Amino acid sequence: MPMQNVLTWMIFAPVAGAAVVLLLPRGRDELVRWISLLATAVPLALAFWVYANFDRTSPGLQFVEHYAWIPAFNIEYFLGLDGVSAPMFLLTTLIAFLALVASWGIKEGVKGYFCLYLLLEAGMLGVFAALDFFLFFIFWEVSLLPMYFLIGIWGGPEREYAAIKFFLYTLFGSVLILLAMLALYFANEPHTFDMTKLIAANKQYGIAFQLLVFIALYIGFAIKVPVFPFHTWLPDAHVEAPTPISVILAGILLKMGPYGMLRVSWPMLPEALKVYAYPLAIFALINIVYGALVAMAQRDFKTLVAYSSISHMGFVLLGMCAIGPQGLSQAGVNGAILQMFNHGTVTAMLFLLVGVLYDRAHHRVIEDFGGLGVQMPVYAGVATVAFFAALGLPGLSSFISEALVLIGAFPAYRTLTIIAAVGIIITAGYWLWTLQRVFLGPLNPKYATLPEINGRELVTLVPLGALVLFLGVYPMPVLDLIRASADQLIALVGPLP
Amino acid sequence: MPDPNWSQALRTVAPELTLTIVALIVLVLDLVAGRGRKGALAAIAVVGTLLALGWSVSLWGERLVAYGGMVVADNYSLFFNIAFLAITVLTILLSTSYLRREEADLSEYYVLLLFCTLGMMLMAKGLDLIVIFLGLEILSISNYVLAGFLRTRLQSNESALKYFLLGSFSSAFFLYGIALIYGTTGSTNLGRIAQALQANRDPGPLFQVGMALLLVGFAFKVASVPFHMWTPDAYEGAPTPITAYMSVGPKAAAFAAFLRVFSQPLAAMQGEWAVVLWVLAALTMTVGNVVAIAQPNIKRMLAYSSIAHAGYLLVPMVASGELGTSSLLFYVLAYAFTTLGAFAVVILLSRKGEAGYEIAGYAGLGYTHPVLALAMTLFMLSLGGIPPTAGFVAKFYIFSAAVKAGYIWLTVIGVLTSAVSLYYYLRIVVLMYMREPAEESSAATLTAGPLVTLAIAAFAVLLMGLFPGSIFTLAQSSVFGL
Amino acid sequence: MTITLSHYLVLAAALFVIGLVGVFIRRNAITILMCIELMLNAVNLTFIAFASHMNAVDGLIFVFFVITVAAAEVAVGLAIVIALFRNRDTVNLDELNLMRW
Repeated sequence: MPMQNVLTWMIFAPVAGAAVVLLLPRGRDELVRWISLLATAVPLALAFWVYANFDRTSPGLQFVEHYAWIPAFNIEYFLGLDGVSAPMFLLTTLIAFLALVASWGIKEGVKGYFCLYLLLEAGMLGVFAALDFFLFFIFWEVSLLPMYFLIGIWGGPEREYAAIKFFLYTLFGSVLILLAMLALYFANEPHTFDMTKLIAANKQYGIAFQLLVFIALYIGFAIKVPVFPFHTWLPDAHVEAPTPISVILAGILLKMGPYGMLRVSWPMLPEALKVYAYPLAIFALINIVYGALVAMAQRDFKTLVAYSSISHMGFVLLGMCAIGPQGLSQAGVNGAILQMFNHGTVTAMLFLLVGVLYDRAHHRVIEDFGGLGVQMPVYAGVATVAFFAALGLPGLSSFISEALVLIGAFPAYRTLTIIAAVGIIITAGYWLWTLQRVFLGPLNPKYATLPEINGRELVTLVPLGALVLFLGVYPMPVLDLIRASADQLIALVGPLP
Repeated sequence: MPDPNWSQALRTVAPELTLTIVALIVLVLDLVAGRGRKGALAAIAVVGTLLALGWSVSLWGERLVAYGGMVVADNYSLFFNIAFLAITVLTILLSTSYLRREEADLSEYYVLLLFCTLGMMLMAKGLDLIVIFLGLEILSISNYVLAGFLRTRLQSNESALKYFLLGSFSSAFFLYGIALIYGTTGSTNLGRIAQALQANRDPGPLFQVGMALLLVGFAFKVASVPFHMWTPDAYEGAPTPITAYMSVGPKAAAFAAFLRVFSQPLAAMQGEWAVVLWVLAALTMTVGNVVAIAQPNIKRMLAYSSIAHAGYLLVPMVASGELGTSSLLFYVLAYAFTTLGAFAVVILLSRKGEAGYEIAGYAGLGYTHPVLALAMTLFMLSLGGIPPTAGFVAKFYIFSAAVKAGYIWLTVIGVLTSAVSLYYYLRIVVLMYMREPAEESSAATLTAGPLVTLAIAAFAVLLMGLFPGSIFTLAQSSVFGL
Repeated sequence: MTITLSHYLVLAAALFVIGLVGVFIRRNAITILMCIELMLNAVNLTFIAFASHMNAVDGLIFVFFVITVAAAEVAVGLAIVIALFRNRDTVNLDELNLMRW
């Protein structure tokens, strides 16, 4: 396998798997599962190779692939990784693999499910690797459709509503991204979708143009994050989606929003960023506090995790727009990217844990549980790690990224940062309260026979848990990837005028 | 006036002549072919159409003008003609089993279809308003009969009558426009009209009225809002293969002539008609898509969808220029393949009479007929403009043209209405995959013709969606006069 | 008073508008057909007026084309109306409402 095309191999291995699955005759469900597992294992294996060979000192693009695709429009097949995209790209392969293992329990429409699942993985990997704006957009849309079907066909009772809501929201965002993309395309001479060229030309865009395009892009990406007030699709989608799809949605798909901002809006439209930074920080803060408060009020375990995601994504946004007189804060940007990664692992664990419980008890009402710590000690142990990671306990991964974000944001927005820190306390509050309600207290006799977490479920949870513990003590393996490119991004945006 | 160069004149219209001769042969052979042997005549019609297609391809790259400057074979007209002929072949493939089922298996059907195509080809090739008018009438008169071909069926009668009244009414506008332009410029030849306009910058109000009438005539022909009144009825009642044909072929032909007339001789007045077209495009996209949402019948839904797509086709006309023209060509092709593919599925799922067209009948199709459902999903996504399909690339292309020409708001309206359109396109997909099959499950009769059409259309939609490069190049080299 | 080009054009325009209005206010298919014929003949008059004004012959030739086309149209149109009348016993457009949304 020629390694100069490693990214293409990683993106299209799932597509090939999907094609094979589609061609298999009906009724070979077990074979479908194993082929799909193989198709997600290939990118994961290659991800290790990419991780090992990633040049941590270089801020530039690596593993670049550059071919003409539609010459009439100067559209290229242009892939590459840098420190901004690499953590999410690599995490995608891991989460997709683990969520596939978690999909083993899908019994109906197995072929269709795994086929769409693999296409979804290809779309997500493509988004993180694409460096041509048009190609980015194509992958962005390609990841949208399988998600729509996966929620709409394999989801809960209200699946249709949730799926169409998800679709229309995201589509509205796509529309704005498309318009912004065309505007940037025609603002350059010769017209190009090449992101590196669009970034290099960022000085020549007029301020009015920047302000307008920035808003279009921001709303487009913010819907995906989701930023308050565009968030209402998320709880519906999460509650209805099957567990593995929730994992993918929260673990990877939401990160496409902030990733898009860092990849497109920030470097291409730096002047607009400087104008909007403060309002953006306020939105980030609303996300943190509002998400936490609403999470606290939830009775449904899964909705709670969904709202906690909104809250945690607020930290990503806050770190990203922490801009002082010297420009973007180094700690803020590094923290934001690290938080994207860490939230991916933690929230994936949380959704998997909810899924484990739901598979056994067939409901998710928090108050109904209680005392499960005795009944399912291993499960309770893993869940405790995840809960503590989510509330930002020192020694676990999220603490470091959230601390970096707060450190970065403090010089820029003192009041906002202090309020955000209060948000952490609310977060701690509802996680501890949930922990207490589910695992402590008297055991509900209804659940005296609940079986302990099984081996397959542990396979999905343990790697993530290990990652959470390890990165909590020593975050450098990921931070190393980010640092050089983050510095470059900060230099591109430049200081405040 | 006798043309001194007969061989060139013949070569210019060779595809049309081929088609005419084949149509006449089919007409004559009908006398000897007994009942139930009409399939052979369909085969002859297909072969003849492919022959004309081959001729058209062989003329590619040349620019032949004949008959005193009335007819031209340039890449622009050839691009459209090749598209028309391909549409015709696919329509014939859709028709044979349908006609047998509806007990209307008469060879006149194929003859009329070929004449209809002939009219379309002349519209694209006409350099003179009279030739365009004659092409239009050959097309329309054949089409009226085709719409009413199932003469014992009430819907078909009604469709034909409404289509006829609408068509001849709009022809009167069209013709009056020609008369006024003739009176003010002294010619109906596009080239000479252009010269007259160059010589005389202000051609006077009578010319403006003529241009407006011509525009209204064309707007009727492409079924643009607010000139679309009876179009959905006409589409719904016609035999389904003819509905498919009507919603792509004649519409494309009208655009071929529309674009040539308005961007060649009338280019000087671009500022005046572009405003009108802007409004028409915005109205058509909005009304077509919004009304389509409420339709319970798939034929009628696709009829409104075709109205909406006429609106999208008006967008590059507003934008004009090289990019506008080539994007229109690309869009026509992408739309034609997608729509024919969707109709192939509709025909496969329909039953004798007017049964099987209820959208609710598509429930659970993903489980009963997975391949058909997959194909239908592809076509619905393409109509809605989702990658990686031809429809997405086509929409991208026309909106780039609009953005480049500075029509940002038109683009915004277009992009938003196409998001609205996804609502009803996806409704089909939702029904197919997210609902249980209905009680009386719609068992499809899988016949070869529609399946071949389906396969070709699906292939084309994917190809144009993933590797649009070569079609782009073709479209760009088909832009006339640039 | 001499009859000028304008007189012909105004007459033609008046006929065209009469036909146009007729199409909109009449509900009988045959009457509408006649109104459309009136519009087409108004166009013919326009062509003839222009042709004789310019001393050109091509306008007159167009009239022949138009007459031929109109004849073909009427033939097809009446055939459609008859087919409909046989099935429905009406040519009133308001009663032709099988398809509505």
